[in-house]
Amino acid sequence: MEYLSLFVKSIFVDNMIFAYFLGMCSYLAVSKNVKTANGLGIAVICVLLITLPVNYWLNKFVLQPGALSWLGPRFENVDLSFLSFILFIAVIAAIVQVVEMVVEKFLPSLYSSLGIFLPLIAVNCAILGGSLFMQQREFANAGEAVVYALGSGVGWYLAIVALAAIREKLAYSNVPAALKGIGITFITVGLMGIAFMAFMGISL
Amino acid sequence: MNTNSNIYTVIYTTLVCVLVAAILAFVSQWLKPKQDANEKAETISQILTAAGFDQKAHWQEVGNAATLDFYKENLAEASLVNAQGETVGTLDKDKAVIYTPSELKVQNRSIKGGKEFKVPVYTFSNGVTVIPVYGAGLWGPVWGYLSFDENLDKLVGAYFDHESETPGLGGKIKDDPAFRAQFQGKSVDFADAKPFDIVKGGAPAGKENAIDAITGATMTSKGLNEAIVNWLEAYKGYLQGKVQAKAAEEAALAAEAEAEAAEENAETTAE
Amino acid sequence: MKLKETILNPIFKGNPITVLILGICSSLAVTVEMKGALVMALSVTIVTGLSSLICSLLRKTIPNRVRIIIQLVVVALMVILVDQFLKSFEATYPIDKQLSVYIGLIITNCIVMGRIEAFALGNKPIPSLLDGLANGVGYGLILIIVAFFRELLGSGTLFGIPVLSKLGYVNNGLMILPPMALILIGCIIWVQRSIQKDLQEK
Repeated sequence: MEYLSLFVKSIFVDNMIFAYFLGMCSYLAVSKNVKTANGLGIAVICVLLITLPVNYWLNKFVLQPGALSWLGPRFENVDLSFLSFILFIAVIAAIVQVVEMVVEKFLPSLYSSLGIFLPLIAVNCAILGGSLFMQQREFANAGEAVVYALGSGVGWYLAIVALAAIREKLAYSNVPAALKGIGITFITVGLMGIAFMAFMGISL
Repeated sequence: MNTNSNIYTVIYTTLVCVLVAAILAFVSQWLKPKQDANEKAETISQILTAAGFDQKAHWQEVGNAATLDFYKENLAEASLVNAQGETVGTLDKDKAVIYTPSELKVQNRSIKGGKEFKVPVYTFSNGVTVIPVYGAGLWGPVWGYLSFDENLDKLVGAYFDHESETPGLGGKIKDDPAFRAQFQGKSVDFADAKPFDIVKGGAPAGKENAIDAITGATMTSKGLNEAIVNWLEAYKGYLQGKVQAKAAEEAALAAEAEAEAAEENAETTAE
Repeated sequence: MKLKETILNPIFKGNPITVLILGICSSLAVTVEMKGALVMALSVTIVTGLSSLICSLLRKTIPNRVRIIIQLVVVALMVILVDQFLKSFEATYPIDKQLSVYIGLIITNCIVMGRIEAFALGNKPIPSLLDGLANGVGYGLILIIVAFFRELLGSGTLFGIPVLSKLGYVNNGLMILPPMALILIGCIIWVQRSIQKDLQEK
């Protein structure tokens, strides 16, 4: 039951895009049509699902104060948390690169549809944000971290597909010339963000 | 040279990582004592501000050494208490030992995990008692200090700090004096579901243990409230014990006075 | 001539926020007040400049396959080093307290990575340094414009000094919420593209 409420909460209440405004750059750049938005959304879910558990173990057994006690009593007081930024981002970049290579080798058809978006994900703040939130909320076990990763990934996916659908329709509307394209997109996302604030009051 | 060969890539990456790690480790080791001294002075200045000795800006102006001296002069006692409210240790006053945020973090983990903990209580010679609180905000940890008057039933001040809340929104817990001023004159009620409440949209008028949340910073306000509630629960033993002791003392005094009065009465009637 | 263009282009015609759509996340978070926007603009300018310079110096040695990791490590190293030094001196400690909030935001700011990827890896160190600095300035300019409106209309103040609130203005709470920053940036794009017709999309 707790997993379910965490899952729903991370999709709607703590939505990466509309509650925290993370991962905006690729969100705006790659939402011109539903098909590519779909590809990027799925890629984000996959990368979150891999990086979060990895960073969870890294935090638990290396970074957290006292985490190194498995090496022996001498390491009980070592606190490496000042390294978490640099290590998390290195892990994310490395995993993105590995995923890219694996997908290219074994699933060439998926690679050709996702290909260009994969490297972009390394600098997607939603991924690093996920790891930092996970560290800060001190999840009780790896299961919660996985559920959280899935939830926030799905939330991001929903947001980008919704925006892409709106933008496909917007292409046929009569928008002032100077606002066409990215200008009206900013305003649309702003309005979507205000609408999503309705979820903020829900307590699960 | 072929920069795309496997061996080159591996060696290059390893070298960069080792170099960066070495630079970071060296710099952080070398600068650690200075940073610790700064952090300690900063923490003390926050405790002093919460206790109502001057404004935060004043302590920044006078510098680290003067802040420490003032603290040592005015501190009556800094002790450690456990969940039952028993005093289990003292912090060295002459060295101005205090609990830094990182030590609060360790205790916070024990409090939340239901384990044994030791938390500090700073009592000043003017009777004000300061206790810390610690928890998670929106982006990172938030912590702060609540100060009580000599009877431990009214709050006289508060100061909060954070690691990475959004400036202008969540950052207001620290930067907005109006938010902190709300704590003055409020009280803590352990009979309530939440001993202290930060209410989104405004606290009900006349409620003694609630204040208004910050507009646009729901998550930070929520996190701060959780921190305050968790830590107040941790200090419940101490705070209630002290209040009861005080009440018992007063009752004893009253009883004594009554007994004396009765005795006097008896004497007068005897005469 | 080319140097002049390198400096001027990112400030208006090729502005990282309104034209290249980079670094949006942080521009939403820090534009509630002028002070925060100013500190962020300065720190990003310094970090983009320095990391572009270093990556440009290393550009011939970085293996292509791991370049993103190397770039991220360089950026993170720069930011953490600046933070560590500021933290160690009594005089700069308060400045660091202000800056430390932005550190996470700077590392993941796509402007830094975007400029390294698009410019520094293919150009000499000096132009790369200038390009980094100019992009930081262009980015900061938008931050400050957005922050000006949000602080003025949202809290009635500028740099914390009451301006509108003195005139009996009732603060508009909506301006403080992050979605308004998006809508304001949309309006800035509208103004800019009305002036620069060649930027308009068909």
